[in-house]
Amino acid sequence: MIHPKIISRIIGVLLLIEAGLMLLCGLMPLFMREDDLFAFMASALIAGVAGMGLLLFGKKARHEENIMTRRDGYIVVAITWVVFSVFGCMPYFLSRYIPSFTDAYFETMSGFSTTGSTIIPDVEIIPHGLLFWRSLTQWIGGLGIVFFTVAVLPIFGVGEVQLFAAEATGPARNKLHPRISVSGRWILTVYLLITASCAACLKLCGMGLFDSVNHALCTAATGGFSTRNASIAYYASPTIEYVITLFMFLSGINYGLIFFVAFKGRISKIFTDTEFRWYLSIILVFSLIVGTGLFLGTPNNAGDSIRNAIFHVVSIITTTGFTITDYTTWPPFIWMILGLCMYAGGCGGSTSGGIKSIRIAILAKSMRNEVNRILHPNAVLPVRVNGKVISPQARQSVLTFFIFFLALVFFGWFFYIAIGLDITDAYGTSISCLSNVGLTIGYHGCNIPWDNMPAIGKWFSTLLMLVGRLEVFAVLLLFSPSFWKRY
Amino acid sequence: MKIVIAGAGNVGTHLAKLLSGENQDITLLDDSEDRLSQMGSSFDLLTIQESPVSIMGLKEAGAGSADLFVAVTPDESRNIVACQLAHSLGAKKTLARVDNYEYLQARNMELFQKTGIDSLIYPEMLAARDIVAGMKVSWIRQWWEFAGGALVMMGVKIREGAEILNRPLNSLGPDQPFHIVAIMREENTIIPNGNDSILAGDLVYFMTMKKHIAHIRRIAGKQELPDIRDVIIMGGSRIAVRAAQLVPDYINLKIIESDLARCHRLTELVDSRVMIINGDGRDPSLLQSEGISHTEAFVALTDNSETNILACLAAKRFGVTKTIAEVENIDYINMAERLDIGTVINKKKIAASHIYQMMLDADVTNVKCLTFANADVAEFNVMEGARITRYPIKDISLPKGVTIGGLIRNGEAILVTGTTQIQSGDHVVVFCLEGMIKTIERYFN
Repeated sequence: MIHPKIISRIIGVLLLIEAGLMLLCGLMPLFMREDDLFAFMASALIAGVAGMGLLLFGKKARHEENIMTRRDGYIVVAITWVVFSVFGCMPYFLSRYIPSFTDAYFETMSGFSTTGSTIIPDVEIIPHGLLFWRSLTQWIGGLGIVFFTVAVLPIFGVGEVQLFAAEATGPARNKLHPRISVSGRWILTVYLLITASCAACLKLCGMGLFDSVNHALCTAATGGFSTRNASIAYYASPTIEYVITLFMFLSGINYGLIFFVAFKGRISKIFTDTEFRWYLSIILVFSLIVGTGLFLGTPNNAGDSIRNAIFHVVSIITTTGFTITDYTTWPPFIWMILGLCMYAGGCGGSTSGGIKSIRIAILAKSMRNEVNRILHPNAVLPVRVNGKVISPQARQSVLTFFIFFLALVFFGWFFYIAIGLDITDAYGTSISCLSNVGLTIGYHGCNIPWDNMPAIGKWFSTLLMLVGRLEVFAVLLLFSPSFWKRY
Repeated sequence: MKIVIAGAGNVGTHLAKLLSGENQDITLLDDSEDRLSQMGSSFDLLTIQESPVSIMGLKEAGAGSADLFVAVTPDESRNIVACQLAHSLGAKKTLARVDNYEYLQARNMELFQKTGIDSLIYPEMLAARDIVAGMKVSWIRQWWEFAGGALVMMGVKIREGAEILNRPLNSLGPDQPFHIVAIMREENTIIPNGNDSILAGDLVYFMTMKKHIAHIRRIAGKQELPDIRDVIIMGGSRIAVRAAQLVPDYINLKIIESDLARCHRLTELVDSRVMIINGDGRDPSLLQSEGISHTEAFVALTDNSETNILACLAAKRFGVTKTIAEVENIDYINMAERLDIGTVINKKKIAASHIYQMMLDADVTNVKCLTFANADVAEFNVMEGARITRYPIKDISLPKGVTIGGLIRNGEAILVTGTTQIQSGDHVVVFCLEGMIKTIERYFN
């Protein structure tokens, strides 16, 4: 059973919060004396009115309609992301800095899903208020829109568990506290601390205040929007590059794990955590391969090779998408390695997208077991994560996820070829949107060529981003007939 | 000493038998009449048919005035509750049998003492320790350390071709770095003197120091035996799980278990070094495909003693050098020994002797009940003016069936010969036939 009243009430509340955030960004043009004040006020008004309407519709819910089921949780989460993007694109659209609604919606979804691929040809002429709104969409989308709201304001009282289940990333659900809203607030504290310390470090390294804050928001969210056309390359500062590498890496770790290590002093947990060890190993191995490739295949010296390799590998594996050089000028072998990194993703329970290290670990162990099974047909071979055996159902769901993920990459690839992209670009765009990376590989540079893509390609990309951000099942579920059956 | 034993299972009855021979006041408490009736009629002890967790029953058994309360029912929770109740009633010391490794950890000891439980015993753990010790030195059947490892005693099966075979012991020369304290021939335990000689098939108990182990291995003809690297365990019992957790890293372990659900459970209990195989450990084709012929040790730990003995025999035919069988049926132990099964594990006996050792009075700190040889090993601290210190050993008329294996003086291990003069303060290891500990105690006090 689906309960429209409670769904509309929750979305109504969320829209009011979005309106509030727009008003907050509206302060920026007041100080900066820029021309986007009207756009923010109008957008906030539209979102506010819509939110009030939905709230009024949901207000008079009878008692039996006031229950939140798993289905409602999935619907709320999927719809919220779409609705947020629709209203969130208003500032761009109404201010005419992005005149096409398709492009404005795309930019917003790219923000909320932390993909970070931009459709704006020159971001440096965009007013500060809009740039800040753009970074804020990523920061809110990083932990999840619903998650963010529930953690900030425990207003719903019902259905928090269902909402979290529908939006959380990764297969493991490690609660930090018996109350889910308290866990949410702790995670949010970690998120705030990472963001604040990133901004402070960037400021100390010589970045301007506005740029520091925006880059910190987009780094912690592993989003990748930059306030500069050249991304991080603009600053030409190895220190800034290493600082951003570090914070991208931190943001790719499971926030629950960071919480235990930083706040509960359980340092040893980080060395025994299976997922973290895989995450670190994947990054080290790929950095080594790319670094060696750069050293041998390009005129870079050893230091530059390492810096470039580690920055781009971390940026892509954590699905951030910052760049410090156009890596498509490197040998194509390295593109393909980076293209492979796009699948990986960080850890479950982080702000990154992709498959996630925990699933890769489970997949790799399952593969090893299948080989062993040929030698030992009677053996009972378990897959262990953190020393605990994971259930066959959990293993099954990881395998299914992987197959869905691959199928979607291929589907996207064919789709982009069909609308006229060349083969490498189409591949890069497909995996990049699904993993929320925001970079591509191919002969036309590392940015996805949006300007010559038809509108349908952009709409399809926003769908891929949403599917990737909500980890495939939460969205595909809505397309399955059995979901809509009444029993 | 007044001792109340709650639970007349195998551990409880075995312990009661051991203690009733010691002139202790034993009360055996159990709610089953069947288990009690046989004990009460054949041993000198009091039986009370009441639940070990009934307050009335505990009062009736005199738990309140007991010096020691031992709870050894099969159920861990009942044991803990019984001990807590007995403690509250006034028992001086309590001991509970548990099934949980976590409880044994030193940092949790205080927690148990706070709730009125003074010591814990985990029979499966003790059995697993014996198994793993047997794997580490495969040619040794039994192994004990005294005084923190300064002196060791080991039981070795001597086969055809060994150097020391068929020679009177005094012809080996007086300076041998070992002392043979007992010989187990067929079912008889012999405390040897210089004129006895070792025959093929004897189980010989050597007392020696760690640095001489290689020498004993050579004279016992055990040099060609390979070290244990690969082990197959049949039966995923609790002992198997414990053993899997205790084996050193260099040993590869496979556990064969016939119940699939138990297999899945096992994967959660052991770590990734252990491979779990679903199948029947008696199936030759399964054993062969899992490489039994390259396996150095086979351990049978199913619930069924007969199965364990048979599986070990089958493994021997594949050329496995070391076999270990769990035999819970006490009557089968001698039979298993005669069938040439390397080590026989009986967790009840291990548990009972462990408890027995904990409660022996005088300054005895370590008494082990040997599963095969009907003998006890004890450690004594020699008192000032004790009878044993008056003359060299050969001039003291120790009773027949007693031999002094070695002693520790100022932290240094010394093997004992006839001319050794024991001094007060020495720490002496004595080997004697079963039940003689009390009689030899007076030589040392």
